[in-house]
Amino acid sequence: MKGIKYQLKNIRRDKLCILTFLLPVLIGFALSLLSDVSFSSISEITFGIVKNDLPADTVDWLKSNGNVTVYQKTADLKEAVNDPSSQMIGVLKNDAGIQTIRSGDELQMMSIIGDTLPLLFAERHTVSQYNISMIPLKHNNDILKPLLIVITLVTAMFMGCTFNAMNMISEKEDGIIFINEVLPMTKTQFLIQKLLLGFTGSILSTAITAAVCIRVSLVQLLPLILLILLSAFIAALAGVFIGHFSSGLMVGIVYIKIVMILFLAPPILFYLLVPSGSILHKVSCILPSSAAFYGLMDLLNGKSQDITIYLVVLTVHSLIWLSLYRRLSLRGQKHA
Amino acid sequence: MQKSLPALIKKDLRLMLSSKFFLLAIGSLVLYSCYINFVYVNIDQDIFPVYLYDPHHSLESLPSFVTKADSRKELQEAYSDGYSVGLDMSGATPKICMISSGSDKTDNYRAAYALSALSSDGSSHAELIGKNDREMKNRREITSEFLFFELSAVGFLGLAAMLFKEKHMGVIRIHGILPINPNIFILSKLGLILLSDLVFAVLLTLFNLGINAGISVLPAVLLQTGILSIIMALAGFFCAISLPDFKQFSLLYLILAIFITTPVFLAGQTNLSWSWINLHPMYHLFMAMKNAYFHTPVANGTYYTVCAAAIILLFLLARLRLTREMTKEG
Repeated sequence: MKGIKYQLKNIRRDKLCILTFLLPVLIGFALSLLSDVSFSSISEITFGIVKNDLPADTVDWLKSNGNVTVYQKTADLKEAVNDPSSQMIGVLKNDAGIQTIRSGDELQMMSIIGDTLPLLFAERHTVSQYNISMIPLKHNNDILKPLLIVITLVTAMFMGCTFNAMNMISEKEDGIIFINEVLPMTKTQFLIQKLLLGFTGSILSTAITAAVCIRVSLVQLLPLILLILLSAFIAALAGVFIGHFSSGLMVGIVYIKIVMILFLAPPILFYLLVPSGSILHKVSCILPSSAAFYGLMDLLNGKSQDITIYLVVLTVHSLIWLSLYRRLSLRGQKHA
Repeated sequence: MQKSLPALIKKDLRLMLSSKFFLLAIGSLVLYSCYINFVYVNIDQDIFPVYLYDPHHSLESLPSFVTKADSRKELQEAYSDGYSVGLDMSGATPKICMISSGSDKTDNYRAAYALSALSSDGSSHAELIGKNDREMKNRREITSEFLFFELSAVGFLGLAAMLFKEKHMGVIRIHGILPINPNIFILSKLGLILLSDLVFAVLLTLFNLGINAGISVLPAVLLQTGILSIIMALAGFFCAISLPDFKQFSLLYLILAIFITTPVFLAGQTNLSWSWINLHPMYHLFMAMKNAYFHTPVANGTYYTVCAAAIILLFLLARLRLTREMTKEG
């Protein structure tokens, strides 16, 4: 217990370190302030038109199908259509009705929309002859905002990893590791001391961020807490691993960078590209961050049937990595 | 004084070699190139599939994009993925069925698109006005992003790592006693980082854009690379000399890597319009880099003037801190 007290004392002097743990909280706060509207409009189609070119009813029709941006001149419109970051479709008047322009670098969906829009416009009155049965969404289908929130949460968890790794490496560089070896302290005590700091830090940081930007029902609260606890534990453990293996600061940075990329990139990629029922989706749970990521994503989207699986996966991960580290450090002890 | 520059450069180069700086750069190069060539280039989004249930065979010919469903249940399963649209022709009035996408406008469009399956006999094509196809656009876009991220990371981190190593070894203390021109001290590090960044930019561009397209954008890209590399390296130098240890620095770096560059990417990548993004200095650097890859000259005189001013200011700040540190140690 005394060791942990000293460790805490050591951090308290480190103001910047406390600040970094607070940073995800600030980002979460900013995210929760951003309105849903600005995000949901991304998925809508954008049409660009030139001022005083199209008749008013055509503009109304375009407005009912997507967002319309008005430009002063045709040249401005062409520039906006060509802008690589936009998927805008330009609409101009011609004899038959409308003529579309696009830049040719769009996603397949947008290029088909651009090509078929004049046909749809010609047949616009037929829609009223049909019954449309629209099944409303059970939950908000906005992908981007939950994604940003979850990325922030996973980053908050990752702070524990960085902190632990840096803490251990700097002790190595300062030679405190030799003092530790002489001190009457078992390997387990050492591990607990090192783990606990990053662990508590990332739990606090993640929990506050979650409280700021996630609204969950009472039933989901327990899974959420368990998810945060387990993932923060694995992150802290990863930090201890990095600290154990890296000889110096630069090598440590390289490892942290690799682990950070592995921590953040594959889950996002798999989430966006791989359908959730497929085998690849299950295989991707080999990475602990994927399980955490999917679990958080499901909680945010109001689904909870798979959450137990993710929790079990995370528990298995923590046990495996913990026993692996125990074995590693025991082997080190024999050598010493 | 003039003689000490080559010696300093030689020492810094050795330091970079021993800290596996180049290994890190080569590793990143391979990782990014693999990602671009095998994953990112293939990213696409298909249009909503249309499913048709037509028991009375009231439609003779079907366009190729319509899939037939044999029963109402099959149709229901097909459109319940939330993306596809179902057309039910079994009743007196045909029905369009779908799960709402959350946006009324998109839903209207989906209904209209599905209907075009029933009555389309003409065909229309949009006029193409761009120079890139989707693959080339993806390549240019992601290469510019990776280069930007890597430059802001490697320049910042690489120089700081070197400096902390030297601080640790007591080099600053030695220079406190054996004075050295601080300009040369900074320049030798800056030059090496700049050189390695330029080489990195050339390789990344050629690997991912191809030789012809790569060479045509290189002059503009190298100019932006130079500006970004110098700014980030000087910022890294300043932070490293001001902060007491590397632990704090690495946390600061994490913030920079994730939280400062993410909004920049979001604003540059999607057509999200945030008015405050114009106040974000990195956004302008990123857009200049991206425009260089797309042959669009947007960066103007003001941009270059501000960049030059920033470089001079950062250089002076770094020099001031270094001189102060040397006096303190000596």
